[in-house]
Amino acid sequence: MEAQLSGKREYRVTFLPGGKEARVAARATLLAAAAAAGVELPSVCGGEGICGRCRLIVRQGQVEAAPTLHLSREEIKRGYVLACQAVVRGDAVVEVPPESRAGREAVVDLDAREFLAPEAEAGEKFPREPLVEKLFLSLPPPTLEDNLGDQERLFREIRRFRPAPILQAGLKVLQSLPALLRDSRWRVTATLAQRGGTVELLQVEPGDRAGTTYGAAIDVGTSTVVAHLIDLNSGETLDAEAKYNSQRAYGEEVTRRIIAAERQGPTRLQALVVEDINDLVSLMVDRQGIKLSDVVAVLCAGNTAMVHFLLRLPPGALRRHPYVAAALAPPPVRAAEVGIRINPRGLLYLLPGIGGWVGGDITAGILATGLHKCEGLALLIDIGTNGEIVLGSKDWVVACSASAGPAFEGAGVTCGMRASRGAIAQVEIHPTGVRYRTVGDAPPQGLCGSGLIDAIAGLFRAGYIDRAGRLRPDAKLVRERAGELAFVLVPAGEAPREIVITQRDIENALRAKAAIYAGVSILLREMGVRPRDLSRIYLAGAFGSHLDLRNAVTLGLIPDVPLERVHFLGNTALAGAKLALLSRTAWEEAQRIAAGVTYYDLISCPYYYDEFMAAKFLPHTDLARFPTVRGALRLGEPV
Amino acid sequence: MAIEVPDVRESFSQAIYTVTLGATPQEGGTRERLITVGGERALPFHHFDGEIPHPPVVAMEVWDIPPQDWPPVVRAPFQDVFDDPGEWAKKCVEEYGAALICLRLVGCDPNGANRSPQEAVQAVRRVLEAVKVPLIIWGCGVPDKDNDVFPSVAEAAQGENCLLGTITEDNYKTLTALATAYGHKVIAESPVDINIAKQVNILAMDAGFPLEGLVMYPSTAALGYGLEYVYTIMERTRIAGLRGDKLMAMPMLVDVGREVWGVKEARAPVEEQPEWGDERARGPFWEAATAYTYLLAGADILIMRHPEAVRATKLAIGKLMGEGA
Repeated sequence: MEAQLSGKREYRVTFLPGGKEARVAARATLLAAAAAAGVELPSVCGGEGICGRCRLIVRQGQVEAAPTLHLSREEIKRGYVLACQAVVRGDAVVEVPPESRAGREAVVDLDAREFLAPEAEAGEKFPREPLVEKLFLSLPPPTLEDNLGDQERLFREIRRFRPAPILQAGLKVLQSLPALLRDSRWRVTATLAQRGGTVELLQVEPGDRAGTTYGAAIDVGTSTVVAHLIDLNSGETLDAEAKYNSQRAYGEEVTRRIIAAERQGPTRLQALVVEDINDLVSLMVDRQGIKLSDVVAVLCAGNTAMVHFLLRLPPGALRRHPYVAAALAPPPVRAAEVGIRINPRGLLYLLPGIGGWVGGDITAGILATGLHKCEGLALLIDIGTNGEIVLGSKDWVVACSASAGPAFEGAGVTCGMRASRGAIAQVEIHPTGVRYRTVGDAPPQGLCGSGLIDAIAGLFRAGYIDRAGRLRPDAKLVRERAGELAFVLVPAGEAPREIVITQRDIENALRAKAAIYAGVSILLREMGVRPRDLSRIYLAGAFGSHLDLRNAVTLGLIPDVPLERVHFLGNTALAGAKLALLSRTAWEEAQRIAAGVTYYDLISCPYYYDEFMAAKFLPHTDLARFPTVRGALRLGEPV
Repeated sequence: MAIEVPDVRESFSQAIYTVTLGATPQEGGTRERLITVGGERALPFHHFDGEIPHPPVVAMEVWDIPPQDWPPVVRAPFQDVFDDPGEWAKKCVEEYGAALICLRLVGCDPNGANRSPQEAVQAVRRVLEAVKVPLIIWGCGVPDKDNDVFPSVAEAAQGENCLLGTITEDNYKTLTALATAYGHKVIAESPVDINIAKQVNILAMDAGFPLEGLVMYPSTAALGYGLEYVYTIMERTRIAGLRGDKLMAMPMLVDVGREVWGVKEARAPVEEQPEWGDERARGPFWEAATAYTYLLAGADILIMRHPEAVRATKLAIGKLMGEGA
């Protein structure tokens, strides 16, 4: 049935399961229809037909699909199309297959909660003195002898508890002050917020409300937003939630989102991430029976681009030489100003970034690991689409960013997915077969970063691939699939769809690990540090709760040092954010960290390509760098 | 009092592997002359630093089919023998003093004449009969076809200790297995990349092939077409090998003729480029200049085409090795 609306043809597209509908103009893509219907589809490339993720099955109706290499002939016969490459030519009913269901039924994705754990141990304890705190005060009523103004009386009392050379109050607060003080018989609670060297009197409440001070620490990641609700008095984490960053619809990679912001204005990208934060905070607050107005601070750690989106700063210069940020250490702002719904006078704090491509999440990581106070040399590797690498000690800290690509986050891999429910997170490959474990022990849906690392290390150890990562065509479980070799991890019968690792997947993963290892090895070499001089290696990243360190070494992702020196910490950005929220000392330290870290630009390194090519081998072209792997695998290299 | 002059000679910890090609009847082959390359203990021609036991050698190129794209200058000397690889090889050895013959199986290319493995074998047999110098046998470069042709070719040349090529990062298993089975050496090819060069050697070694059986081919560029890139890669490779990296201590081969005779500086007739001068002098000169540069970079085997360029290169090798000094 066709509808005539304002002279333009519109068609109805129904999405199964669930039956959500959208009316879209003729020749709109199914991806656009899905967005209009509120059906979230995975789209890594932002609708350019490159990633092959937005798979749909056309059940009925007229849909015209452009040819694509991402679908097999068999799949095309079964009605598979890529949503971004298929346009509507009539009413249609399409099915979202399990692998394309991003799971946005709930406000919060259960899937993303996997990112909550584990959390970095704090490298150091800071004094508990939250950025925003409440003080219960009992003021002496004014007399003729003591006839200070109401504001000055309040300030005098505050200064008895906390040194605050510069104290400021907003006009709104002052206007309400006389009545409030008298009605409450001079017993009030003052909310104080640190803003640089100034302490702001955010609000005054009647009576004793000092026990109800809450804040949220948020890791604003490119793919996942993770929030913790914190009791600022006790320092306790009351609740935690996570969801995928809704900006993903504009592309998986930051650069694509910057381009989108440049083309369409930054408002939409801001709104998306702000709504994500609001969803998470309101859900936790409801669950804990806390009043939203008692949440007085939000502290975010994010990469520099995310901070730009959040504050609606123009991000364009970030992606152009010389990659300059609008602001690396933006001041605290009223949360309401950017649309975050907490106490209307509550503040939004952003951890300072180090450079255009090394953001506040890394500052948080340094703070959380205490790398900048280490006696010995330590290395922090945060694995993401950009792998950030930090090397240093109490004397100096250097950081760089290696463009690894999203393979370890599940993109650019045929059956890749994030470390969410149903993702294969652990793999053992034996000559006799494959053993695996999925997140939540759910039926396997795909392969996440930790599973990919395990799988490739396992394939290498079991002799399925050579040191260049080439699959042996004659090996058991190796098949030819759409013109390339693939290793069957889970046969079609055991999973909703066959889960394979193709030759190209292995190459993508090797490129990613080579970029990260090359970054590590260049940073070490430039600073004259040998791997064995490292007293600690901290690994962070969105791997969920599991990462097999031995396999990470076998792959050549991280230097071959005794494993007891390697610590997998998970989300260090969030750990650092909590420290800063709970301690002004930690917050100030974060400012010093960000200002004191030297940024090293890998791209300008003349031997980057050499290091990268040498690292593309398993575990590395120079086996002398991986003595334990050589020993364990008896790799026959002459010494 | 005598002033002590410090010893500034460079000494390296390792010699380049020595690779001998060809086999005499006693050794199971039919060659009368063997060729040995490698064994250097110093950078090219730095005789004052260490021993250079074997001079670089020139191999001349022979095809299994008459070449179509060779320019007249380099066709002329071979015009009469193009139809017979045996006669062609004979001319190279007897008239032009080629130390080796490089038989290139261009005719097997599936995008060209697409000749069968049997036809390739015939060409190999012809050359083996016609000349008594060692042989380099170079596939058509299409991996699947090479893997199809080499089993018969390697078997037909069994015991002759030929140099077969090439293996690459993507295609090394078949040829290394054949070379092991039939007693040949192998050319390890890499795309002007020192890391990949080493990686190919490692892959061959992991496949059970001895490092001493490899000759490295780092790719070749003609003068004016990136020669300096190849030069630095070869120089770095040789220094790594001399300094003890056993995975980089192979003799090196350059494919000069094929590259040079594809560029316009060597090909263009004087009518097209009057200011460049007579191509009959210019072409061979371009080839000789390219070859000379690679000698200095550490090449042990040079595959060449034009007799004049070959003559000039052999003369240069003689002088650089100290002949007549």
